[in-house]
Amino acid sequence: MRPFIWNYAQHNEGPDAPVPYAYNSAAQLNLLPDGRPAISDRELLLALSTTTSTAGSQTHFDD
Amino acid sequence: MTVLILTSHQDVTTDMVVAELHERGVPLVRLDPADLPGEAGLSAEYVSGDFHCYLSADGRMVSSKSLRSIWVRRPGEPAAHAPEPSRWLSAETGQALYGALCSTTARWMNHPRQADQARLKPWQLRFAHRSGFAVPPTVITTFPRVAEQFAGQYGKVVVKSLSGPPRGEPAIALPTALVEPGTDFAGVAGGPTLLQRYVPKRADIRLTCVGGRMFAARKVSASGQVDGRYGDTGQVWEPAVVPDRIARAVHDYTGLAGLAYAAFDFAEDAEAVWWFLECNQGGQFGFVELETGQPIAEAVASWLAQEPRGPA
Ligand SMILES: Nc1ncnc2c1ncn2[C@@H]1O[C@H](COP(=O)(O)OP(=O)(O)O)[C@@H](O)[C@H]1O
Ligand SMILES: [Mg+2]
Repeated sequence: MRPFIWNYAQHNEGPDAPVPYAYNSAAQLNLLPDGRPAISDRELLLALSTTTSTAGSQTHFDD
Repeated sequence: MTVLILTSHQDVTTDMVVAELHERGVPLVRLDPADLPGEAGLSAEYVSGDFHCYLSADGRMVSSKSLRSIWVRRPGEPAAHAPEPSRWLSAETGQALYGALCSTTARWMNHPRQADQARLKPWQLRFAHRSGFAVPPTVITTFPRVAEQFAGQYGKVVVKSLSGPPRGEPAIALPTALVEPGTDFAGVAGGPTLLQRYVPKRADIRLTCVGGRMFAARKVSASGQVDGRYGDTGQVWEPAVVPDRIARAVHDYTGLAGLAYAAFDFAEDAEAVWWFLECNQGGQFGFVELETGQPIAEAVASWLAQEPRGPA
């Protein structure tokens, strides 16, 4: 039987947009192509919403 | 003394804390359990009662004797990146890693035992009440009749999941939703269903508690909005003052739960009562810090950087 809550499920739109930064193991931080830390670009992080409480929910139940 | 951070590479919220630790010159090792075995390695030895463990990640080594703290942030499933991943290999790897780490004297944010307990929503509601929070009437049931009666009694009720959306593809979201009058509750028999009285709210509150330091943020609700996380309403998170009564309850709750870190969700009603909705033991704080400017990453780094107590 289909659980009750499934009547309220929503499909997320498409896969996540690729991020313009990559993990750097020497710095132990994500860096932008110009070498600056990704977190130095606040507007970028807000736009990507990788830091919101719904972003993580797909991979984590702790949000 | 080194800080160990268990998290995935992509997690930029961790970066905010790593940068703070770098600034203080605190050594750290960032390790994703998904990379073990492989990019990460482990060795733990028990010889005549003495225990010693080494971890390596990306060529960095840390010994259990020099661990000051462990932050469990967004760890991948152990061994998920192995060439032939399996549930069995994940279980073996998880035992080795967390078993060894639980045998150290490092301070945890949060200890896995406390984290497991604190994730249980029914447990949360009970302990929230004991700690002095206002908790909306809630039912968790597999009986359609009970669900129907509950909805009839409280009029406006919401449904939400206990453990979050299913993981994997395709990506599905399970926002908290209002149950319309006349709804058929037969599906309640198909899975435990959590119904809660709807709190007519004027704002959502997110309170992050880091080793006793509290940061509250408030976001005004749009009229008729149910789940504050979905739908762009043009409202933003703003810093809020923590009422004394709430501060005492947060203090008691985190004490009872044994949590060094906790992120609480509340619904604020027209009388300014903060109704407890849930407490996420590993809740996200990146969006709060980015929008409010509250120094949460700094607080996490400070907590992690404290030196452990000396041997007893
Ligand atoms: N009883 C309720 N009344 C009004 N809004 C609610 C209620 N329960 C949840 N919400 C809204 O839905 C959001 C998500 O619910 P929550 O209890 O935090 O569960 P989760 O985040 O695990 O899905 C809340 O932040 C809030 O905006
Ligand atoms: Mg929540």
